[in-house]
Amino acid sequence: MSNGILIIAESHEGALRPASLELVTAGLAAKAAVGGSLTALLPGSNVAGPATELAGLGVDTVKVAEDPKLSAFTTDAWAAAVEAAVKALDPRVVIFAGTTSGRDLAPRLAARFGAPSAANVIAIGGSSDTIVATRPVLGGRVQTDVSLGGSLAFLSAGPGAFEKAVSTGVTAPVEALAVDLSGVSERVRVTGLAAADSGGSSSLASAEVVVAGGRGLKEPANFALVEELAGKLGGAVAASRAVVDAGWRSHHEQIGQTGKTVSPKLYIAVGISGAVQHNVGMQGSEAIVAINRDPDAPIFKIASFGIVGDLFEIVPELNRQLS
Amino acid sequence: MAYSIVVLVKQVPDLNAVRVDKASGKPLLGDQLVLGAADAIAVEAALQLKEAHGGEVTVVSAGPPSVKDALQRALAMGADRALLAPIDQANALDTLALSRVLAGVLSGLTFDILITGQNSDDYESGQVPAQVAELLGLPQVSWVTKLVAVDGGLAIERDTEDGKQQVIAATPVVIMAADGLNEPRYPSLKGIMAAKKKPLETVEVAAVSATTDITWSDPAAPQKPPAGIIVQDKPAAEAVAELVAWLRTKNLA
Ligand SMILES: Cc1cc2nc3c(=O)[nH]c(=O)nc-3n(C[C@H](O)[C@H](O)[C@H](O)COP(=O)(O)OP(=O)(O)OC[C@H]3O[C@@H](n4cnc5c(N)ncnc54)[C@H](O)[C@@H]3O)c2cc1C
Repeated sequence: MSNGILIIAESHEGALRPASLELVTAGLAAKAAVGGSLTALLPGSNVAGPATELAGLGVDTVKVAEDPKLSAFTTDAWAAAVEAAVKALDPRVVIFAGTTSGRDLAPRLAARFGAPSAANVIAIGGSSDTIVATRPVLGGRVQTDVSLGGSLAFLSAGPGAFEKAVSTGVTAPVEALAVDLSGVSERVRVTGLAAADSGGSSSLASAEVVVAGGRGLKEPANFALVEELAGKLGGAVAASRAVVDAGWRSHHEQIGQTGKTVSPKLYIAVGISGAVQHNVGMQGSEAIVAINRDPDAPIFKIASFGIVGDLFEIVPELNRQLS
Repeated sequence: MAYSIVVLVKQVPDLNAVRVDKASGKPLLGDQLVLGAADAIAVEAALQLKEAHGGEVTVVSAGPPSVKDALQRALAMGADRALLAPIDQANALDTLALSRVLAGVLSGLTFDILITGQNSDDYESGQVPAQVAELLGLPQVSWVTKLVAVDGGLAIERDTEDGKQQVIAATPVVIMAADGLNEPRYPSLKGIMAAKKKPLETVEVAAVSATTDITWSDPAAPQKPPAGIIVQDKPAAEAVAELVAWLRTKNLA
């Protein structure tokens, strides 16, 4: 009889990833709904430090799967480690972090076990018979409740959807989980990591005001509107991933899951839809102003002040009124 | 080395046209169906490999007859042939059931590289590529932002929270194309004309049914009202005056 919750935590350079802290909270939500105990698996190599940190966050047990093949992420090695853990622990539900690797692994393992799965979930409820996972669809404008029956299910957490777990003062036992990865082929070989560019406009991290532009600006030259507004407010300029990928702005300026995290006094999002992967990098801002012509854009759900309208009318007017 | 490349694509509602009905909270999808944004990137990646090294590009999609339009678009971009796996409602199947259909079609083809979009614009779960890879026993590389053919395989950069992870993948392999890998081309007039003469076949698929215990509710807007002040349907000058006043009370301007 499968029982309990298994979460798959991740660490990087000797520290738990922030997404792993959110994952613990997702695991606790699942435990409240489904029952049983909450086990955290930490795959990696030399992960004793993060394992200790994980043990203090409210989980019932930490299992550490250590192997040199797990030091850098590859689907094959990590999937084999999780597969071994699932077979050993027989959980009702397995939850991955809201990371690129979590999103990579969850569906693969679901197919391996022939089990139902749901990606990018922002809430977990239901019961052990039927787990209910809520996830955003259609650009985050709407959401759906996925009901997962059977005896095993796989989920990945949405980035930023769950609070970061904090130390409880209670330390859970940390145990080794033996995994045999000798059979894992190296058909995908990691050759390096070009670290995320942390240089550039260093003012962004400390800026009290950040004005960010997105695809709604239509073309790179229109960023002048954003720059002017930032100038008027003494703020720094930032960008969504869409415009960084399009080559309009440099990666230094990207806010979000694969960019920078900022928490200024004021964050103004111009022509940005407010995808969870963007919001995770700015939702800690004290005030969020959104300018977008789509009243259903998810950015309005987190905005302290939103204007539904054409940015090409609103922003020039704002620049005028601030003069 | 010439590559035999298969690209999996999905036809989706045009996300720019999606609105939410105020009264019911239900999404209104508009009539426009398009080739998924990430799938266009996947097609472009395949074409670039073919143009550099030779080979053949086959696009495959599962769905109702309307999906032919998305396949035609890929052919007009430059793909060589298209296969349609007929199923009534791709979104009515769970991803594993759909992946089983697609894996069945793909197991009848020989290819070096299977390229997919990272996720669809509508349901955005990004599960089908990994599930197809698992069912076919192939390795997968997700969130790919750079793809270059080298001796012994493909040199790839993929997005991670820590930066770009660099890997070398042996073929056959499943590649999931992310934003930033390339800018998909627009089909030329010549391409559109040529596409009409390219083979677009309907393949047979085994009976499909949901294979795992999963259901989902119709998508709807969350009941939670927005947390802040939203100014709508006001002239720009007025809306901005309200914003400026608000910023000043908060000492933000
Ligand atoms: C693993 C992963 C990691 C990611 N990491 C990041 C990240 O770090 N940062 C990030 O930003 N994204 C990230 N993304 C991408 C994210 O999901 C979105 O695709 C991206 O944020 C969209 O950028 P955007 O809002 O500029 O563009 P869009 O989503 O295209 O939004 C443009 C908006 O502009 C509005 N608009 C258009 N014209 C006008 C006008 N005239 N006036 C007013 N409004 C207008 C539209 O209504 C729309 O809401 C990531 C995605 C994944 C899957």
